[in-house]
Amino acid sequence: MSHNDTVPLHPSSQSDIDEIENLINASVMSGPATVLPARPPSPPRASIPVSSSPFIASNIPPTYKKPPTVPVPPALPVQDPHLNSRQNIAASGFGSPVNTLTEPVWDTVKRDLSRIVSNLKLVVFPNPNREDPGKALRDWDLWGPFFFIVFLGLTLSWSASVKKSEVFAVAFALLAAGAIILTLNVLLLGGHIIFFQSLSLLGYCLFPLDIGALICMLKDNVIVKVIVVSVTLAWSSWAAYPFMSSAVNPRRKALALYPVLLMYVSVGFLIIAID
Amino acid sequence: MDLNQPTGENYANPKTCFFHVLFKAAALAFYILSALFFNSFVIIFVVTVILAALDFWVVKNVSGRILVGLRWWNEINDQGESVWKFECLDQESLARMNKKDSWLFWWTLYLAAVAWIFLGIFSLVRFQADYLLVVGVCLSLSIANIVGFTKCRKDAKKQIQAFASQTIATRFSSTLQSAFSVV
Repeated sequence: MSHNDTVPLHPSSQSDIDEIENLINASVMSGPATVLPARPPSPPRASIPVSSSPFIASNIPPTYKKPPTVPVPPALPVQDPHLNSRQNIAASGFGSPVNTLTEPVWDTVKRDLSRIVSNLKLVVFPNPNREDPGKALRDWDLWGPFFFIVFLGLTLSWSASVKKSEVFAVAFALLAAGAIILTLNVLLLGGHIIFFQSLSLLGYCLFPLDIGALICMLKDNVIVKVIVVSVTLAWSSWAAYPFMSSAVNPRRKALALYPVLLMYVSVGFLIIAID
Repeated sequence: MDLNQPTGENYANPKTCFFHVLFKAAALAFYILSALFFNSFVIIFVVTVILAALDFWVVKNVSGRILVGLRWWNEINDQGESVWKFECLDQESLARMNKKDSWLFWWTLYLAAVAWIFLGIFSLVRFQADYLLVVGVCLSLSIANIVGFTKCRKDAKKQIQAFASQTIATRFSSTLQSAFSVV
């Protein structure tokens, strides 16, 4: 690894560089497993060099409070023991906390995945934080909604016997545009909601409908479909209700909630009617 | 132009550079070539959008950190407002960043967005609304990364200026002190 230094180095920096290079040489064999664990046709050994290269931890103190999973890599069965020791060396060697700029790739992946799971649990399953939407989806992310929308589109497209492409495109466009329009609706009604947070929420609330669509794809009986879709529809609406209703003025609650219900009902009909 | 560098500077992080380019190129190539092999729009859409999403994640979380030492994200603070945060390495590390790496990073970022714009124009001319959807999604992902990193870089430049003026002041005073101590 060549460093062409453009600034003259102090003697102390030279020893830092030597320390860094020792760490790099020690860690050459210990690349993380893959970039994304759930990526099927990937080039083998996606071992992106772990990012402790010439970095000194940023001296700008991080002005945020990330969830506590970030700073220290927890002990994972997959994680190489070298990574752990090197991380600790880096933390103590440079005398400043390891922040997100220098964390290994595997940590980032794990952090994002656990955020998706925790967001899903917050939104869809009963929990004590539901009454306060500001706290509940604080760490919004759009990966969960993306996966759910694509999954729903794929399931619908698979169940359709003709015009599969149109079904998928329509489902995707409907859900994506619908989420954006619903958010704009709340904002225009004078509600206090953050754009991406609401998009994220509406996407996560599709999870029950995803399950419903999957079941309907597997069992073709109309009565079963109607029952399953009604149950999952009720579940989705129950999940979305507290966030949407608390964001607007109480007198305008119905105006904000009705389009949401309408969208989910239309998706439900789409699931039933596909054959 | 990098081939003429007399010092023979190489990529400091070849694997990261490779991945940075891989997903962008794969998404563009798949989109362009898929019409020859696949009849189904669904597969084209899903694979292209997944490759574009993977590229977005890799650029934002991995190659942005490793190649140019920048990072951006969004948070919601206690008052319930959304705040965009930008983070960069300290100035010594930024100055030591490999020039070829950052050249590759920025140029491929811009070129990919321009390529998607061209493809969007083609599909617009042919009145293919569904392909326009694909291009729209990929383009919005590219533009999000470009905007985020450009803002991050401006932040970093401001800090470099502040750091430089501070460094000049300290060096000046230490030079004066050493001059006086010799005398």
